[in-house]
Amino acid sequence: MQPRRPPPPAPGPPRPAAPLLALPLLLLAVQGAAAPAGPEAAEWRPDTGPPHGLLRQAARAALHFLNFRAGSPSALRVLAAVQEGRARINAKKECTVDLVFTTERYNSEEGEESLGKCSARVFFRNRKPRPAVNVTCARLMEKTKRQQEDYRLYKQMKQLRNPLDGVSIPDSHGHIDPSLRPVWELAFLGSSYVMWEKTTRFLHYYMAQLSGVKQWETNDGAIDFDYTVLLHEFSTQEIIPCRIHLVWSPGKPLTVKYHCQELLAPEDASGTEEGSAVAPTELSNF
Amino acid sequence: MKWILFFGALIGPSICGREKFFGDQVFRINVRGGDEISKLSQLLNSDNFKLDVWKSPSAFSHPVDVLVPSVSLQPVKSFLKSQALQYSVTIADLQIYHEMDNIAGEFPDLAHRLKIGHSFENRSMYVLKFGTAEGRRRPAVWLNAGIHSREWISQATAIWTARKIVSDYGKDPAITSILEKMDIFLLPVANPDGYVYTQTKNRLWRKTRSLNSRSPCIGADPNRNWNSSFAGAGTSNNPCSEVYHGPHANSEVEVKSVVDFIQQHGNFKCFIDLHSYSQLLMYPYGYTVNKAPDAEELDEVARCAAKALASLSGTKYQVGPICTTVYPASGSSTDWAYDNGIKYAFTFELRDTGHYGFLLPANQIIPTAEETWLGLKTIMEHVRDHLY
Repeated sequence: MQPRRPPPPAPGPPRPAAPLLALPLLLLAVQGAAAPAGPEAAEWRPDTGPPHGLLRQAARAALHFLNFRAGSPSALRVLAAVQEGRARINAKKECTVDLVFTTERYNSEEGEESLGKCSARVFFRNRKPRPAVNVTCARLMEKTKRQQEDYRLYKQMKQLRNPLDGVSIPDSHGHIDPSLRPVWELAFLGSSYVMWEKTTRFLHYYMAQLSGVKQWETNDGAIDFDYTVLLHEFSTQEIIPCRIHLVWSPGKPLTVKYHCQELLAPEDASGTEEGSAVAPTELSNF
Repeated sequence: MKWILFFGALIGPSICGREKFFGDQVFRINVRGGDEISKLSQLLNSDNFKLDVWKSPSAFSHPVDVLVPSVSLQPVKSFLKSQALQYSVTIADLQIYHEMDNIAGEFPDLAHRLKIGHSFENRSMYVLKFGTAEGRRRPAVWLNAGIHSREWISQATAIWTARKIVSDYGKDPAITSILEKMDIFLLPVANPDGYVYTQTKNRLWRKTRSLNSRSPCIGADPNRNWNSSFAGAGTSNNPCSEVYHGPHANSEVEVKSVVDFIQQHGNFKCFIDLHSYSQLLMYPYGYTVNKAPDAEELDEVARCAAKALASLSGTKYQVGPICTTVYPASGSSTDWAYDNGIKYAFTFELRDTGHYGFLLPANQIIPTAEETWLGLKTIMEHVRDHLY
C-alpha cells in the first residue's frame, strides 16, 4: 500500500482540461509557439544543407515534446533516422528547422519493425532552452492496443510496493527488474517533459538512471510518484540530477513538476546553487 | 575470538571451486601496531571468509593486500570497522586483471602482460602485448579502452577482444596475418582509479581521481588531457567540469604513461580508442573542423569497418571526423596520436544510442564485442596492407 503524499504547502496546479486530439490517421498534431516573423539572414546553401547534427537535434526536441504530449508510456518513440530537412537562422541567431524523420517504439520488442514517420518544425531560440515544436506523426500503434497497454502498466504501478527509494533503475549492470519496467517507462515519459524544456540548439539529453522512487496514494486513483533522474547532457558530458514529481492516469494528460541541479558544483555539495523550474501543466499558452 | 565466529556465521557454507572473480575486491589494510597485526592475522587465518593474502603483514606500517570474495565483502567490512582497522579498496572488480593474467599464462608465446605505469592512486596500469616475434620493434597497433571509467562496455569489449585474439590466432587467417606483421598492444583499463570509483561509489564517474590544487573537485578528463590543441574548443578550465582538461597537457599520470610508452616505442601505426555511447566510428580531428590530411582515406577505412561491424547484427554506426560527428573536443587521444605520426587513428563510440547509455545491459556485452571485433579487424587489415 502506498503512503499518502503530505499536502503541499501551496495550492496545487490546476488540472488540465483540454483533451488530446485523436484522429484516426494522425496520432498527434501539436502546435508549439509560432516562430517570430523577422528577416531571415542565413540559410544553408542547397549543396551543403544544414549540418546533420542540427537536424538530429531538432528531431530529439520534437520527440521529447511529442512523447510528453501523447502522455502514453506504452507509445513512447525514439528517433530512427532523419530523412530530410532544412534550416534557417535569422539575425537574432534563432534557428528554425523543418524536418522529416522516422521513429520506432522506445520499448520495442524483438523484431518489431514499425517506423512511424513524422514531420516537424522546431524553433530554437538563441542558446535558450525550451524549443517551440510543431510535430505531426503517423500513428505507430493502434489506439485500443495502446490504451490496453497503458492500462496494464497502470495496474502494475498500482501493485508496486514501497519502499523503492534504495533501488537504482537500471542497476549498475543495466538490469531492470521486470516488475520495475513500468516505473522506468513512466519515468521516461515524465523526463521527456524535462528533456524537452532543457534542449537547446547545442545541448541534448538522455535519461541515465533513476533512484529515490516514491509512490503516493491518491484519492482519484491516479499514479502519483516522485523520482530522481540522472540526465546525461551532451556535449558537456555532465550528469544532471533532477527531482521529478509526476501525476498520471491512462488517457489523461500528464502533470510534471521538476527541479534540476543546474550549475557545476563541487563533488558532494548538496544543491547550494540550484536552478528550479516549476512546469506549467498545460501547454495551451503557446 | 567471539567476533570471528560471529562474523563467520554471516557467510553461509564454504565456497567451492571458484573460478569467476566477479565482484571480488582487493582491500589494502593498514596495520599500525602489533595488536592490529594480530587481529588481522586472526581474520586472515579464519576459514570462513576465504580470504587470500596478496601481500603479507610483516612489519608495522606496511599495508596488507587481501583478496576478499564478493560474498565476504559485507562481513569483512563490518569486522574491519568494529576493530577500527583502516582499509581502502585497491581493485574493485578483479575479472579483468585476472583474465589478463590467465591469457598471458596460457599463451606465453603470443601474449605478455606489461606494466606501463601506475595511476594517481597508485594502481598498476597493465597492457597486453600480442606478438609473434621477440625483441624487435615491429609496427604496432594500440587499442585503448576504459579511459572514461563509466563506459563499462569499453573495458568489457577490450578484455573479450584480448581473449579473442589469442583464441583465433592460427585459426582465423585475418588475425593470424595481422600478427605476422604487427604487434598489438591492448590497454583494457586506461583509467583504473575511475574504474574502481564507478564500482564502489559513483557508477557515472568519468574522469581520473587526481586532486586539484585549488578546487575541492576531483579529477580531470583524461581524454582532454593529451597534447593536441590542449585547452582548445570542447574543454573546460573548471576542475568541476566533466571535460576539465587538467592543469597542463599530460598532467594525468595515466595519460603520461601511455604517451611515454608509445613515444619510446616509436613505431606505432594505428591507435584506436574505445568509448561509449552513441555508435560512432570517427577519425581526426576533434579540435578543429579543418580536414585532416588523410581524412579521405580514413573515412573510407572507417566506412568499411562500420559496414563489417553492421554485418553481424545490423548495428548502425555513423562515420565521420570527431568534431562534426559528435562535437568539438581538444586534447583527445586520437588527435594526439594522429598528430604524432600515427596515421590510422580512430575513436569508437560503442553501443547504444541512448536507451541504456552507459548502463548497457550485460547481455549486450558479447554481441557488442563480437561486432566491434569485425570493425577492428577491418582497420587492422588495412593497416597491415598499407604500412608506411
